[in-house]
Order: sequence, then structure tokens, then C-alpha cells
Amino acid sequence: MLSRTMHDIRYNPVDDEVLVPNPFSNAILIFRGGASGQEAPIRIIQGPNTELNSPDRLDIDVVHREIFVPGRGNVLVFPLDGDGDVRPKRVIRGPDTQVDGTSIAVDPLHNLFATTGRDRAILIFDRMANGNVKPLHVIRGPNTQIDRINQMAIYPEGKLLVVAMPGVQGSMEPPRVFVGMWSLDDDGDIAPKWTITGKQTGLKKPFAVALNPEHKEIYVTDMRLNGVMTFFVPEVFKPVPPAK
Amino acid sequence: MNLKGKGSRLIVASGLLAATALIWLSGNQAAALAQKARSAIAEAFQVRTRAGNLDKKPTRYIKDPNPAWSSIAVNAENNMVVMTDENLFRIVEYGRLDNTPPAARLTEPKRIIGGDQTRTEMLCGAYIDPRTLDVYVTNNDTQDWMPVFSRNAKGNVAPDRLLATPHRTWGITADETRQELYVTVQFPSAVIVYRKTAANNEAPLRTLEGDATELADPHGIALDVKNDLLITTNHGHRRFYGGAAVSTITETWEEWIGKSTADLNSLPRRYLPGLGKFEMPSINIYARNASGNTPPLRVIKGPKTQLNWPSHVAVHEERGEIFVANDAEDSILVFRTSDSGDVAPTRVIKGAKTRVKNPTGLSLDVKNGELWVANMGNFAATVYPITANGDVAPLRMIRGGPADQVGLMIGNPGAVGYDSKRQQILVPN
Repeated sequence: MLSRTMHDIRYNPVDDEVLVPNPFSNAILIFRGGASGQEAPIRIIQGPNTELNSPDRLDIDVVHREIFVPGRGNVLVFPLDGDGDVRPKRVIRGPDTQVDGTSIAVDPLHNLFATTGRDRAILIFDRMANGNVKPLHVIRGPNTQIDRINQMAIYPEGKLLVVAMPGVQGSMEPPRVFVGMWSLDDDGDIAPKWTITGKQTGLKKPFAVALNPEHKEIYVTDMRLNGVMTFFVPEVFKPVPPAK
Repeated sequence: MNLKGKGSRLIVASGLLAATALIWLSGNQAAALAQKARSAIAEAFQVRTRAGNLDKKPTRYIKDPNPAWSSIAVNAENNMVVMTDENLFRIVEYGRLDNTPPAARLTEPKRIIGGDQTRTEMLCGAYIDPRTLDVYVTNNDTQDWMPVFSRNAKGNVAPDRLLATPHRTWGITADETRQELYVTVQFPSAVIVYRKTAANNEAPLRTLEGDATELADPHGIALDVKNDLLITTNHGHRRFYGGAAVSTITETWEEWIGKSTADLNSLPRRYLPGLGKFEMPSINIYARNASGNTPPLRVIKGPKTQLNWPSHVAVHEERGEIFVANDAEDSILVFRTSDSGDVAPTRVIKGAKTRVKNPTGLSLDVKNGELWVANMGNFAATVYPITANGDVAPLRMIRGGPADQVGLMIGNPGAVGYDSKRQQILVPN
């Protein structure tokens, strides 16, 4: 049931499960952790009630047990144990949201989620946002140096958003490619706090990011290299003091 | 880059080229120059940050140095075996009788086309024009182009011709009698037919799509000219329109597809909300000239077929047989062109002796009675008698890498995950 096109994958450490979207069959597949070979998914979210529309990416919140799926101009929130033709618990949609919905990451610690917005923006919402709501913060503008956003991940303890920026679509070796990091408190036309890019990194078209805070590593896939790189970046994995 | 106008275009070259210039160039020169400019800008890009840029070497780097053969085309009359490499982004040419000795690391190709001027990236299909020996290739989902290279093209060269094709174009074949070019589009599922010499932002002659077609993530495509049939393989992923395909294009095709390479030129279609389905993989057989929302004449589908991610397909018209590269089962399946429904293949080439491993490409050499298979899983092209059956050793094998290694098959890794329990990195492709 996997397609040749998969643009997200998330591991659920609480239930030991792996979640993958299938945009061509309009479904979210949930596999057993450690699944191998041609093993069938243990659950499938699919059907007219789901409102799914070619789901390309997703993220999970294992604390509040929810799946966040960005769509065409919306964000759908499903129960983590959802199965079959389930209705979303919440739908963030409408002109005030500014959502374009190509990528997403959730911070269960600070009750926030980040998604992509119109005109190359990163939007930060309250985790419980529902309906036609305004984002709490909008990161957008020339100083952001954003050309295109692919997979996102959040390091909750550091309130840090990590984003793969593969450059303009269609260009084989585009300018302005980097892994960019912003605080979830950032707002406006603001440069990233940290970036990973440059000659030493070898990055040409970073497509995806995953975080391993325990080992202070960021995993980056590069489409132009067809490779997976591990960057040891302890400077990035610094917890921020909890809000009072 | 604007594609309006055929054969020439107005481009703006800027950035590190020192001066901004307005130049009328041929399409290919323009593409090459624009790419050169982008590469120069990329090299000079200095990111601005608040805390710092971490320009450091990765501590680990997973990368397959060997090719991942994704398609194969054979022209026996001119000793041409052309393969596309989805890992190193190359088109390579070997000789028909090349055969890698067991102790050799690999066989060097006669010709390599690759590099940032070629507009080739996630290569997935190849076709050799039998008259001109031009090589046509499809890019799947990172370059929305079909480049065409002449017999003499070599190295990092601009294509001789480019056709803007929808995002996720995969299979390719041609009708030489009618001079028509056929491609499949994975999603939204479609078969698109162009003039064979179409270039730039030219519109198709016709499109086959819609619920009645039963197209479901189509991949391979072949023509049976003798019996006037069009054959596609399908992975089984379906969406629904509620009838005919619903296009949301508000302009002409030429305006839409030529708008900007910054856009994802995915066929703009509106599906019924929410609906989607997993179906069994299939071989769909249509009338050659089918278009619009036309049902297949026959569908080969069901558990007996053994189809699993069926990829490139070829037809032997004289033998009345359909050959399928059956990627996920490490097998080659042979059906009759008259087959329908849940039928077992008449022959299956599979097993340790065959060296078939994740076969994606497949081509027939009718003149010499040989079947060629491009294996993504072990970077080998394997050759069999056209009548081969069962666990048979190949007649010859062209390896692009060492015999004792297997392919990582990382292709367009659009996502990554981390399994903290097993300390494993998850990489879908």
C-alpha cells in the first residue's frame, strides 16, 4: 500500500508505530514499529469523512494523541488511534489562517504547531486552533531567505523549529538551500537563528529533516545526492527555560 | 523561465553573471545558461543567521556510489543499450554484447550523459527513436521535462530538445507509424499523447483520464500496433472524479505548463473530496487511440496475476505476449495480450539464478530474441532468451557496480524519520 511517492514518515515511540501518508490513495497508513517487507498496515485512515486531499506530510503529538495533516489550504487533526473513515477532530481552514499546508510539525510541550503559509511563510498556531483562526506568529519576508519548505521537525525542549529548504522548485542545483531553524517565538521578517549549509556540509538540495535530541543529531536527506547525512550539532539542542 | 514561443525565448540572466542581460537564445541554450547562473548563485550563497551557520562535515553519510537502473531501451540494429540511472542521474549506453566478467568490478559505459546542464534528474523512462537514434527520457517528480538527446550527445550537455511534461510523468513509448509519443502520469492518473516531435510547452494531442479508465497510478506503457492496443501497468492507487476528469486549468495548456518552473506543474485536477482507494495492481488494455474517460477493453488484475508494483512493460506482437517488470516481487511476468481478469502469468522469471532484483526496466530485442531487464536492486542489466521461464541464469549481464553489493535504492528521499526505540533512521523514497 506504499506508493513510490512518500514525503513524510514519523515514528510514534509511545505505541511503537510508524505513520506514512499516501497521497495517491488519499490515506494515512499506520504500521507496526519495526515493520519489514510487505507487511500490511495495522490501521488506515481513509474515506470521504476524513476530508483528506492528497496528504503529503504529517506530524504526530504523542502527548495529546493526535495526528496533524496539512492539506490544500487546511490542517486536519485526527485522533492518534484513528482508523478507517474518521472525521477530523479539528479543521484549521479559512482566509484568516493563511495556511497553504505543505508541511507541519507539532510542539506538544508548548501547545503549538508550525505549518506553511502563503508567500513562503511559516505560521505558528496554538495547538488547539480550530476553524478560521489567525496564526499566533507569521515568519515571512526576505530576511527569512525561504524559497521552499519541505519537511519540518520541532525540538520541543528548545522551542525550536527545524526546516528543510531545498530551494526553488525545478532548479537542479538551486541557490539558497539550507536547513533553517527558528524559535517558535519568532515573528515577522526574521533571519533563521541557526542554519546548516555551506561547502563543508556538501548539501545540494536538502529535502527532509529528523531530530535525535538524545544524540544531538539532525538527519538530513538530500535529493540531489540521493543520500542521508547526519550532523552532530550540540549547539542547537539547548533547552529553553520553561515559561512561568 | 518562460517557455512561451517555440524555438526561442526571452530570458533574464542575472546574479553573479556580473551584468543583467536580455538575450534571445534557443530553448536549450537558455536552459543551460539559466542553470549555470543558478549554480553560480548557489555556490556564492551566504546565508544570514542570528546565532550562526553550522558549515561542518556530516559525521555520517549514507550514499550508494553505484547506479540504480530505472529503465532500459534497446536498439539491436545499432548495438545500443541505453539505461537511465536514478541514483547518479545519468543516461548510459552500453553495447548489446557487453558482458561483465564475474571478477570485474563493473563495465564502463560507451557513453554517459549527465550533469546539471542535461535537465535530467529522477530519470525513469527511456525510448530510442529507431530512425534518428535520439534518446528520449522522462524525469519523474523533480524535473518536469522530457529531454531528448541526439546520438552524439555526451557528457554534461544541454538536451537537443525539451518538452514540458506534467509533474510525475513516468513511462514512455512511441507510435512510429503515426509519429505519436505516449507518456504515463502517475498522479493525477493519466496517459498523455503528444506529437512525437513536440517541444517546449506544446499541448498534447489527447489525454486518457477519468474514473472509467480505471487508471490507478499508471507506470509502464507499451503499444501493440499490430492489434491496435495501448497497454499500461498500474500500482493500484486511485482517486475519483465522479466521472470524467475535472480539470481546473483556466488558461490554455501552453500558458499553464509554461508558466514557471518554480511551480509544481502537476496536472491541475479536482477530485471528489476525501475519496481514495487501494486497488490490486493491474495491467489495463485500451484501444490504441483511446482518449477521454474511456474504459479499458480488458484488465488483468487479481491475486493470481502476482502483480506487485508492476513497472515498465513491453509487448512482443508476434508472440502475442506482454512482459512486465514486477518490481516488488523480484520477477518478470509474461501474459498473453488476450488475457483478462484474474489470470496467472504464462511464465514467471524469478529466483536466485536469474539475478532479478527489484526490476524496474524492461525491453525486448525482437531481432535477436532476447529480453533485457534493468534491475534497480543490484545495478545489473540481465539478458534472457525471449522464451525464458523459471529460475534461469541470464545469458549475459552488464553490471554497473560490484557483484557482492546490493543497491541501497535511495531515490528522491523526500522524508526522513527516526525510530528512537531501535535507533534506526527511516527513509521513504
